[in-house]
Amino acid sequence: MIDYLVTVLTEGSIFAIMALGLNIVWGWSGDFDLAFYGYVALGAYMTLVLTVGPATDPTTYILGLTLPFPLAVALAVVSAMVLALIVGAIALRHLRGIYFSIVTLGAVYVLYVVTGQFVPLFNGYNGVSGLFDPMGDVLGLDYSSYSFFYLGLCIAVLIIVLLLTTRLNGSRFGLALRSLREDERAAAAFGRDIYVTKLKAYVLGAGLGGLGGALYAGYLTAFNPSAWSPVETIILYAAILVGGRGSTRGVVLGVAVMVMGLQEATRYLPEIANQPSFAPALRLIITGVVLVLFIRFRPQGILPERRFRDKDPAGKGDAAAVEPVVTGPKLDTGAA
Amino acid sequence: MHEALLTLGFGLVAAAILSLSALAFTLEYSVTNVANLSHGEILTVGAYCAYLVQQHGGGVILSGLAAAAGGGLLALAVHNGVVDRFVRRGIGGLPTFIATLGVSLVIQNVLVIIFGASNLGYAVPQGAPRTVGPFLWTDTEIQIMVSTVVITALLYVIIVHTRFGKSLRAVSQNRSLARVSGINANRVAALTWLLAGLIGGYAGFILAESVGTFSPYSGFSFFLITLTAAVAGGLGRAVGTLVGGVIVGIALEFFGGYVSASYNLAFAFAILSLVILVRPRGLFVGGRRSVFE
Repeated sequence: MIDYLVTVLTEGSIFAIMALGLNIVWGWSGDFDLAFYGYVALGAYMTLVLTVGPATDPTTYILGLTLPFPLAVALAVVSAMVLALIVGAIALRHLRGIYFSIVTLGAVYVLYVVTGQFVPLFNGYNGVSGLFDPMGDVLGLDYSSYSFFYLGLCIAVLIIVLLLTTRLNGSRFGLALRSLREDERAAAAFGRDIYVTKLKAYVLGAGLGGLGGALYAGYLTAFNPSAWSPVETIILYAAILVGGRGSTRGVVLGVAVMVMGLQEATRYLPEIANQPSFAPALRLIITGVVLVLFIRFRPQGILPERRFRDKDPAGKGDAAAVEPVVTGPKLDTGAA
Repeated sequence: MHEALLTLGFGLVAAAILSLSALAFTLEYSVTNVANLSHGEILTVGAYCAYLVQQHGGGVILSGLAAAAGGGLLALAVHNGVVDRFVRRGIGGLPTFIATLGVSLVIQNVLVIIFGASNLGYAVPQGAPRTVGPFLWTDTEIQIMVSTVVITALLYVIIVHTRFGKSLRAVSQNRSLARVSGINANRVAALTWLLAGLIGGYAGFILAESVGTFSPYSGFSFFLITLTAAVAGGLGRAVGTLVGGVIVGIALEFFGGYVSASYNLAFAFAILSLVILVRPRGLFVGGRRSVFE
């Protein structure tokens, strides 16, 4: 029972880190980025090839170093951010709305195809494996205590990410991002550099995605293309939408409901003969239905984003708080 | 030279399938302004309907009709059940786009539960390759191309020469104006989606025929290429989309024949990005300069 709880919480924390990263891009900046899982995957792959050592026949992959886990994670995050910088620099320059989404959908499919087909990169469809209990030997942990350590590590990273995003949320950067989301023209009129601000947010979000991916690789011990069909991005989106787009608390709640809750609720479904894919398929069906219903009936989510009040003394306090009603972000930004 | 002509022959087959799929997609887009991410599933469902008919001994014609019917019903259901409700509520293009992604996820996995996730194939043989002029085509491939030409011609007549086609064009240009002119825009949109579904379902059938196998994910993979063709030709423009489909289909076949078939999807994406980035007229909505234009 304890083991089970540890597994669920570790997975939940990792997905919460990814979702918080995606929330910066979609929740604050307002860009529906379908390439996000590419950054998660790159984070996972880079962590693996930097720690598991040289490839042994017949596997082939790049690098094959044996760096310490924390260093590998840091490098993995950097590589995810570099990739995001390239994709974002192209896609965010002129494109908004569905055109941005279409280009990022294309980008993630290309990454997926190249990773699968170009075997020397990350060993093709078989993927890279062999990362057992990172940092376990250094700290002298045995198998049973290791899972607790890794859970602690993931929760610690999640707390750091939470502090970071909460702080960013109220910072000038966070406010600038949301002003872009609400009205790009107005924000530009107030001197915001739209492209640079959005690109920063995109790269930052991808970095958190890469971090989540790196921790995921350490948890799974291996990674291959079938572990990240681009569909996985939709699950993260559903979590953000259900919890409350743009709201940090909401995103954590959303992951608890849509990733952990749904996973556990369908875990004990009776096995149907010849239908090994029944439970995962059912989960995706529920995810799709929830996505549609929430967009239609409660686009602001369960815990909507809080509107900031005007703290400018010239505004004489509450009188300037134009909209005390909590409404959350409008879903439609950047009309096509 | 001979090899190039052979490749061109295969390219024409690919172009035919792609054009039908892209035409259906662009029809859906034209009347609702929604890029339907569940478009690929219309093709997939078409392929499965044809499969069911063949399992019960139906021939090619019956399979094709079943595919069209299945695709049409699905498109109508998606329109009336989701898209139309969203459009009427004034929910914008992007959220509806996201919702259709949810729909796509649902349909894919319903198919996984019913038919399993593995590949299926048709029992109908392709027929021996025969020489037609400089090209080498099987009976199936000839059927694909002839039927595509017929369907495209029919569609042209419907859009240009019928009353319904006139209302379709009116709704796609300006929905509100069409409505105040006495056109029942919702009905026209629903019928257009039905029409698009008929074409899309049939496209799914010929796609599966030409590839040989299909799975619940086939339609979605083909969707990215469809999107390339539709965007290259101009979203919502039927003739442009047709040209886009032919060009992209042939280009992909040449790329596959001379460079590498494994990276076809990557090549399609390169075309797509290039088109969106280099010819941004009409797509150009963000960026610093545009704000003050």
